[in-house]
Amino acid sequence: MRDDVPNNTPPKYLLAAETAEGAVITLGSADSWEELLDLLAGQPENDGVPPMAYRLIRTAETEAAVKKKPRREYFANFRGAGGAGREDDGTESAPWWGLDHAAANLAARRFDDLPPLAVREWIRIRHKEPFTPGALERRKRIKEAVAEYVFLAMTAALVIPIVAILAYLVVKAWPALSFSFIFQNSEDSQAGGIWAPLVGTFFLVWISLIISAPIGVLAGVYLNEYARDNWFTRLINLAVVNLAGVPSIVHALFGVGAFVLAAGMGQSLLAASCTVAIMTLPVIIASTREALAAVPMAFREACWNLGATRWQTIRTLVLPNSISGILTGVILQVSRAAGETAPILFTGAALFTSFPYHLDQPFMALSMHLYAICTQLQGVSDSVQYGTAVVLIGLVLAVNGLSIGLRVYLRSRKKW
Amino acid sequence: MVNPIPPPELDLQTPRDGGPGGSVSSHVAFRNLTVRYGTKTALDGVNLEIPRQSIFAVIGPANSGKTTLLKCINRTIDFISSARVSGEILVDGGDVYRQWNVYELRRRVGMVFPLPVGLPMSVYNNVAYAPRRAGLHNRRELDALVESCLRRAMLWDEVQDRLDLLGTRLSGGQQQRLTLARALSLRPDILCLDEFSIAIDPVTTMRIEDILRELKSRMTIVLVTNLVQQARRLADYTAFFSAGRLVEVGPTEKLFTRPEQQLTERYINGDYG
Ligand SMILES: Nc1ncnc2c1ncn2[C@@H]1O[C@H](COP(=O)(O)OP(=O)(O)OP(=O)(O)O)[C@@H](O)[C@H]1O
Ligand SMILES: [Mg+2]
Repeated sequence: MRDDVPNNTPPKYLLAAETAEGAVITLGSADSWEELLDLLAGQPENDGVPPMAYRLIRTAETEAAVKKKPRREYFANFRGAGGAGREDDGTESAPWWGLDHAAANLAARRFDDLPPLAVREWIRIRHKEPFTPGALERRKRIKEAVAEYVFLAMTAALVIPIVAILAYLVVKAWPALSFSFIFQNSEDSQAGGIWAPLVGTFFLVWISLIISAPIGVLAGVYLNEYARDNWFTRLINLAVVNLAGVPSIVHALFGVGAFVLAAGMGQSLLAASCTVAIMTLPVIIASTREALAAVPMAFREACWNLGATRWQTIRTLVLPNSISGILTGVILQVSRAAGETAPILFTGAALFTSFPYHLDQPFMALSMHLYAICTQLQGVSDSVQYGTAVVLIGLVLAVNGLSIGLRVYLRSRKKW
Repeated sequence: MVNPIPPPELDLQTPRDGGPGGSVSSHVAFRNLTVRYGTKTALDGVNLEIPRQSIFAVIGPANSGKTTLLKCINRTIDFISSARVSGEILVDGGDVYRQWNVYELRRRVGMVFPLPVGLPMSVYNNVAYAPRRAGLHNRRELDALVESCLRRAMLWDEVQDRLDLLGTRLSGGQQQRLTLARALSLRPDILCLDEFSIAIDPVTTMRIEDILRELKSRMTIVLVTNLVQQARRLADYTAFFSAGRLVEVGPTEKLFTRPEQQLTERYINGDYG
């Protein structure tokens, strides 16, 4: 407190404190900015409950009224235990520890306008505990939470329908599901008994993979490990990627033309398997290449450096470290081969035939059977239809589960 | 083409008889070697001879083509599709592109690059990898070979009871020494080290330098280094490269005390580079 200020001259600067109740108490007055800062620095710290904020006020000659909003707002920790200051643009700056630190910082601060405060303007220094989140920090947290919930919502939007569909199918199929439904044949398809189409699907998958897996894997190895990067290789890669995206009905038409008619196989298990093989081939090539490309180039170069040939490097380094990835890709095609109807529709699947299957004869398959009992045959009970669907989906899920398991295992054994 | 491997005792007192070109005095020779990456010229008309059984240091500022030079010796440069090599590279008097079988060449030229690469297999298999590919399968000989190589790379003490540990799980410096052990595993005639010590601690580096001095009697060592003092300590001859050109080459002592070119003097005194 200054005693030497004459009573008739109003003070030019005031230091005030805001209490928690909202009252503003004048703590002292000063003639200059520097003096005011001295006054601020001299305020007792660690003295009970700190005020909510300090105000540095420049008053008018005649009145003590101030503008509504402070000219600037800063943060400091009045207890001197750490805090943060905020720049004019709202960004956080270096912490202000205690009032003398705040005063020193304010003194060092270059304001564009001198004196720092115009008449009736004021600065607020708010108390802030150390490590309380600033505006930027709060914004980051909100964005983080929003992002997480958006992704979670999308995942839920994906998972909920799947679970709902599965639950619905199982409930509907429940009356029909039994051991004999799966493992026995019925004479007329009406009463269920899906053993014949199940076995047909099994044959279809195996024969098609026996054709496509070796070709696909070896072609993938060639394209990734041997082929030089020239326009021809790029063309092949482009073709592979595009073929993988072609709808299966196109493969079916190709199968009819090439295998059923041109190669004279007729509508048969072999023709259907070849068609499915053609359909899965590009995907197997692509997934094999992906698995191979996951082995870092540096390993290969280290081996070549030691005089190993390309094939030695592939055999001893590349394949052992990518075989699980390659297998995963092949297994995923099992479920695709089992599930697709279009490629076998015109190439060999029959509505109804009897055991035993022959390579050159039509056969039954689950997907085709499902299509048939749902649309072609009358009077098949609901539960038999749903039961067939459940078995097909269960098959696909089991195979996919196997490949996921393989992937998890592979990740746990990752060697680099 | 599989090269019969000498017995594992590293009996290389006498250099193996020469390759396709027969024995000649300089072990590696570059004749008017020019290397371009696309349009960028990395080496420009280099003529250089590297004598047998010596440590030959290559120094020079960044991008001066030192690594490129090493990559030419064992044709690792072939892995870079944009690289175009012209001129001659002679190893044992034989042109590496025309006379050498590339696998045989790479077995005779050990190479250690600055980035450590532990192969994703056990430490033992890392070192035994190359000998096995070259046809050595006798377990006892392999054991002895692996141990001697790991000892020379100053890694044996740290891994001797963990030889089944994955090479990729070693620390960076250990992986670098593993790379060195792998390069030694074929008992090469020429050992190329590209900044081999950047990942290795100074004490171990000093020990490895001692080993290199010892190995000198058995093989030619080409040492690319950014540590000018390392070149001075180790090398019999030093070549100074700048911007893809060979500026100066000579006995190390002479190059460091009485360099002929101003550029060399400024580089070794640390004024330039
Ligand atoms: N794979 C590549 N593709 C294109 N340019 C390359 C390649 N490798 C090297 N270069 C170029 O060749 C030049 C010489 O490179 P090099 O690696 O031989 O230099 P260096 O002397 O070993 O340098 P440093 O001391 O930094 O290792 C550089 O300008 C570099 O940009
Ligand atoms: Mg380099």
